Amino acid sequence: MKNSILEVKNITKEVNSPEGVLTIIKNINLSIGSGDVVSIVGPSGSGKTTLLAIMAGLDLPTKGSINLLGSKITTLNEDKRSQIRGKDVGFVFQSFHLLPRLSALDNVMLPLEISGSEHAQEKAKDALARVGLEKRVQHFPNQLSGGEKQRVAIARAMVNNPKILFADEPTGNLDKSSSKAVSELLFSVNQSMDTTLIIVTHDLILADQCNTLHELAEGELIC
Amino acid sequence: MLKGFNHGLRKFWSDLTSGDLLILAFSIVLAVTAISGVSFLGDRLKSSIKQQASVVLAADLSFRSASDLGAQYLELAATQSLGVAETVSFLSMVIANEDNLLSSIKATTPSYPLRGKLVITDFNGQVIEHAGSPKRGYLWVEPKLVEQLGLEQNNEMAIGKATFIVEGILQDFPDRNVGFLAFSPTVIANINDLDVMGVIQTGSRVVYRNLFSGSENNIDEFLENIEPVPAEIRVQKIDGIGDQLGRTLDRSTRFFNLAGLFTIIIAAISSMIAARRYADRHLLNTSLMKVFGASKNFIVASQVTQLILMILIATSVGLFFGYLLQSILIGVLKDLLDAELPSASFKPIGIAFLTSFCLVFGAASPYLKLLGEAEPIRILRNDFQFKLKNNLAIYAVALFTLVVFLLLLFEDIFLVSSIMGAMIILASVLYVIGSLMVYLLSFFQSSSGIGWKLGLKNIVHRRSESVLQIVVFGLSLMFLMVLAETRTGLIDSWKETLSEDTPNYFFFNIQDYELPEIKAYLDQELDSATVFTPLIRGRLLSVQPKEGGLMKSGEMIDRESNLTWYDAIPDNNQVVEGSWWTDDAGSQMEVSIDSGIAASMGLSIGDQLNFAAGGTNFTAIVSNFREVTWESFAPNFFFVLSPELGRDLPQSFITSVKIPTDNNQVSKGFVERFPTVTSVDLNAALQQVRSIIGSASLAVQYIFILALIAGILTLIASVFSSADQRKKESAILHTLGAKRSKIFQSAAAEFLVLGLLSGFTAVFAATLFSGFLSTQVFDLNYKPNIFVLGLGFTVGVLSISIAGTLAIRKTIYTSPVVTLRNS
Ligand SMILES: Nc1ncnc2c1ncn2[C@@H]1O[C@H](COP(=O)(O)OP(=O)(O)O)[C@@H](O)[C@H]1O
Ligand SMILES: [Mg+2]
Repeated sequence: MKNSILEVKNITKEVNSPEGVLTIIKNINLSIGSGDVVSIVGPSGSGKTTLLAIMAGLDLPTKGSINLLGSKITTLNEDKRSQIRGKDVGFVFQSFHLLPRLSALDNVMLPLEISGSEHAQEKAKDALARVGLEKRVQHFPNQLSGGEKQRVAIARAMVNNPKILFADEPTGNLDKSSSKAVSELLFSVNQSMDTTLIIVTHDLILADQCNTLHELAEGELIC
Repeated sequence: MLKGFNHGLRKFWSDLTSGDLLILAFSIVLAVTAISGVSFLGDRLKSSIKQQASVVLAADLSFRSASDLGAQYLELAATQSLGVAETVSFLSMVIANEDNLLSSIKATTPSYPLRGKLVITDFNGQVIEHAGSPKRGYLWVEPKLVEQLGLEQNNEMAIGKATFIVEGILQDFPDRNVGFLAFSPTVIANINDLDVMGVIQTGSRVVYRNLFSGSENNIDEFLENIEPVPAEIRVQKIDGIGDQLGRTLDRSTRFFNLAGLFTIIIAAISSMIAARRYADRHLLNTSLMKVFGASKNFIVASQVTQLILMILIATSVGLFFGYLLQSILIGVLKDLLDAELPSASFKPIGIAFLTSFCLVFGAASPYLKLLGEAEPIRILRNDFQFKLKNNLAIYAVALFTLVVFLLLLFEDIFLVSSIMGAMIILASVLYVIGSLMVYLLSFFQSSSGIGWKLGLKNIVHRRSESVLQIVVFGLSLMFLMVLAETRTGLIDSWKETLSEDTPNYFFFNIQDYELPEIKAYLDQELDSATVFTPLIRGRLLSVQPKEGGLMKSGEMIDRESNLTWYDAIPDNNQVVEGSWWTDDAGSQMEVSIDSGIAASMGLSIGDQLNFAAGGTNFTAIVSNFREVTWESFAPNFFFVLSPELGRDLPQSFITSVKIPTDNNQVSKGFVERFPTVTSVDLNAALQQVRSIIGSASLAVQYIFILALIAGILTLIASVFSSADQRKKESAILHTLGAKRSKIFQSAAAEFLVLGLLSGFTAVFAATLFSGFLSTQVFDLNYKPNIFVLGLGFTVGVLSISIAGTLAIRKTIYTSPVVTLRNS
């Protein structure tokens, strides 16, 4: 058994809605080891994004606790959680979320600028080269295809050498061939940098390639 | 914190050029251009008008007293680097060529006059170089004396026990008596010759004046130092002289303030819209930064850094444009204003920076807080919209900042608070009307073509945003209309003052028996019915208050006065308290009092006043207080008796008439036919007043144009920034296969209807607001100006719909793919 990098204990999330209190996820328990590649699947609305957000410390659960990289993030305040994210966590989103007015390079540099690391530009160029976009450094998001945008986003997620990477439906907006390229890229990152991957996806081909698979239905983990 | 600062600094240029900050920067540039233009220009015009007006005092500040003022004030003022001069005036008979004439002697120091010009010529009409007073033993005299006494160069003239030499003719001098009692021609003598004349004895009526000049601050400081000024000294400052000129100055200053105020409010509204847009667009950015580990402080520090940099740049650019605009206007104005324009002060620069800091942080700080607190989870939910419920707090903060700022800037609590109060009420009214109209629109939807239908539907669909836009556009339009109406009202009222019918001659000392003949002469020559007013020389002896109490007398009370009596109240008088006497009241023994005097003497209706006139003493009951329209130039009497009291007292008559300036035959003929009647030519004094009011009108006009341009630009800017949402929609419509013409139609329809709704609400609100301002702030009668309102409405609706469609036109004619990719 490898070291556990993420411990999820009895997580429940409730929200207030006009129809009363809604339980989005219920009693989730998970343990993820360092270097694992984990996929979370489930129908739309089953609570995958919510679970991911809580595991990454972007949101807090109503009940339960999370231990991420040795910190009990459910007891930390927003800024402390930010700090952990900035140092050791990377993110990839379904709709890329590149800043439209920044070039690919500037987008990739953003996390480095926030953490204030040195040689930001070289590191960002390196990261873009690793995702095969060394020729697109000065392009703006609207000059890139979806697949390319997602590769920029992966470069941005990896540029800080995070220990764990969360991806929420990274191929959800892409065609088949781009999907394949993006998945391969993610796995190669896992291989080369030993980054733990947690991928929420609809894409069963992608899910199958992961070494662990969890399925969520109506907020509950069914396997 | 420091990292955030660095980041803000590094990203500033790309953020500015990429558009988010630019919109906010643009509205700041506009606001600063307008406010600095208005205050650069206003500042210079104000001081120019003031300079011209100070000619009336020959100084910036004058102390006036019936007894010698001594040297203490002059000495103190000199140590505070103020300019000083001294005059002593009194009436005395002058004798020359075995003839004599009652003249007004003014003895001056060489430094006289501190403001205005003294023009002296010799008897050949050559201008003489001179100081502010003749050398000892010499005199300068007005042309009338030359004429009446047949004077020639270097004739001798006696005043009291001394004999002088007439050195020159007094062609022009500043502190003329504008009042109708400026009877006697003026002689200027050296102040050191007073003793040898020996005419001033205890009990003589003498006016001693100390004159001071200097910057406004120095003058105020000087006054503060000697506070309290002894009661027997009358302090006259140019902006407090309380008559027509003072009021002209006061009103034009108020108009400048109003224009500045409106410009700032409109700019504030547009900054709020821009700040909201800035925040909306930055929400993705900040949420993303949060995800990547940025702390709240980091985000706030980086934003604040950027905003401050933006303010510095935008304000400097705005100042540059403002100064440029002002120089262009001054260039135009220079020939029209005949006075030398004082150079611009640095004040507008301070005002500009204060303005932009208040505008930006008032409008943006609530959003900064929201941005700092942006939940990173928004990124996963693709949720980049601020909730509308946040807005109320934002408006409250913005409004509060605005009020504090305006109070700081204008130091006119009444003006600021009444305008802000009115604005809040109006905004609420506009909100209700807007909602109602949007609601009504929902019934019309199905009745028109598809493009129109979409447009109307959009307005109803975005109900709260539409209502907000109606309020914003409506308010901006309203401010412009109000400004236009006020300007028109003000200038019209000044025009009346300057009307060609203003009397330019006073005739007085007309006796009973001469009256019919004089009336016949004047009526025939001037082709009008001349009105004569009785003049009774009298003295108020004491006051017996109605409530019993002590009999009042003394300095304030015991004064010589010119009394008159009226049967009916003249047109330019107005009873403000009590009532005018009626015919049938058998034995009316009443007096009507100027309301200003009544207030200063603490009189009330029903008090009894004891007068002495024509060798008898009598008592009159105060029956009413009157106000006189000063602009009318008609004689004003502090005390007006009822016919019962006045009719039989010894009296002469006075009249004021307008004699066409190109026809001096009339006045010449009159003087020849009626040599005992005294005539006063007011043309010079009138000309002085005219030129001051003329400059004030021009200034108001130009300030108005400046504010108008700023207002329209700001309005267009806010239309442009409200077009954002529509861009996305039209791209989606496009993708769904809607034809360009249809999308265009729908957008045009939407802006046209928004324009119409704002236009209507603006007209409605402007009528109320102008009415309030005219009556409460400017003392004008208000009648809605149909032309101004109509024009404002048309131009407003047109500019909103044209700017609106132009703003989204680009989107309509670019490929929808580009728009969608960008979004
Ligand atoms: N803040 C919220 N308020 C109300 N309902 C929410 C909120 N967040 C998520 N939900 C609901 O919770 C359910 C799970 O959402 P999500 O985690 O996004 O599902 P998934 O990512 O699996 O599609 C959905 O039905 C969603 O509508
Ligand atoms: Mg999801």
